[in-house]
Amino acid sequence: MEQNINKNELPQVAKLPGVCIPWEEKLREIPEISGDPQIAKKVWEDVDALGYTYVWHCLVSF
Amino acid sequence: MTDPVQNETVSDRNSRLYDERLRRYVTAMRNGKPDRIPMRPFVAEFAAKYAGYTCQEVTHDYEKAFAAARKCAADFDWDAVVGNMVYVWTGLTQAIGLKYYGVPGIDVPPDTGFQYHEPSEENAFMQPDDYDALIADPTAFLFNVWLPRVSSDVAPIGSPATYRNNLSFLKGGMAMWNYFMGFGRQVDLLRTESGTVHAISGILKAPMDILADKLRGYVGLCMDLHERPEKVRKACEALAPHLLHVALSGADPQKNVPITIWMHRGCVPFVSYKHFNEIYWPTLKPIVLEIWRRGHQTLFYAEGKWGAHLDAFAELPDGSIIYHVDQDDVFEVHKKIGHKFAISGGIPNVLLSFGKPKEIREYCKKVIDSVARDGGYIMDASAIMQNDMSVENMRAWTEFTHEYGVY
Repeated sequence: MEQNINKNELPQVAKLPGVCIPWEEKLREIPEISGDPQIAKKVWEDVDALGYTYVWHCLVSF
Repeated sequence: MTDPVQNETVSDRNSRLYDERLRRYVTAMRNGKPDRIPMRPFVAEFAAKYAGYTCQEVTHDYEKAFAAARKCAADFDWDAVVGNMVYVWTGLTQAIGLKYYGVPGIDVPPDTGFQYHEPSEENAFMQPDDYDALIADPTAFLFNVWLPRVSSDVAPIGSPATYRNNLSFLKGGMAMWNYFMGFGRQVDLLRTESGTVHAISGILKAPMDILADKLRGYVGLCMDLHERPEKVRKACEALAPHLLHVALSGADPQKNVPITIWMHRGCVPFVSYKHFNEIYWPTLKPIVLEIWRRGHQTLFYAEGKWGAHLDAFAELPDGSIIYHVDQDDVFEVHKKIGHKFAISGGIPNVLLSFGKPKEIREYCKKVIDSVARDGGYIMDASAIMQNDMSVENMRAWTEFTHEYGVY
């Protein structure tokens, strides 16, 4: 069998863990940010991560 | 002369006990020799029985499960416990509409532990032609394909939204938040009410186990290992970073207690050596190494017999895991990997449930005299303890460990 994975390293994946809808995707949908873009990014990512937590814990914990 | 311990408040006593127990537990997990053998029984439905609840009560009403765990911890003077080893709250799984639970008092008798229903191969929650979608974007696959299949309420993508669909996400999300917040309070209450350490923090499953448990089913996975092994391997590689993320997101920020991996059916003879060596282990080992690089130990809760793979586990850095013995021979495991890792468990549940106190003491003496002789051992049963465990035997086991397990 073809062995792509180095036995001691995690594979690189296109879709990042902890993310459902990336900020970059959301950013394209909203008007230009006049305030602090970092606040907007952080809050989006923190709340988006809750959705990720939900579905992955459905799979892993429940 | 005044004994300062005699004059301490309950709060001070519990604080002192907590510190002592944490030091004892952590020292043993780091393969060191503490003052005495720490006791960390994973009591599930036993806690319900001891506290006077049915399985239905502790599975469907998590506050009762928490209360039962705290009562056990306080009465038995254990070093570390899990806040709710029944672990599932079926109020939550019912809110989501999950089909694969047999709920006590609804699907099974009220004093029978909850069950998992594994669907038939043809009704597996993931079909063979779904591999590419899972590999491309596991999170989207779970939301768009898997959840609608495992939930009786979630509507498949493209079908009309329904009242039940909307409620599944709202109720499920809020119920999960409630439960996780409740766990945080439970950890604090264990510490303040009885000075008990919460034994574990963070959950891990092996990528291949997740495929078998929740996606393809065991039979489906076995067929895939022969018919499409590359897809299985790529799916495990796609799942691995997410499972690492989930594990680390629940890890102990103080890095004292371990993340636990619940190991199911990835060992010989459930799968072949070839599949263990080529898929199971190469997609799990990097996760465990990364957890260790981040400063956390992993508790290998090796359900069943994993003795065929001890050489593979021995590739891991010294101290990176605690190996929990279920059906393996605890003495053989100790000979093979005891110099590298702490060991827990290995006291047969059958003995604890149906043996005589004298037999339990004799067996534990053998374990303490050999496996635990130089430290690096945490007293526990082989598997989680359900309501067939006798209270009398639990007392005898605990008292003997406390008396004879002093270094």
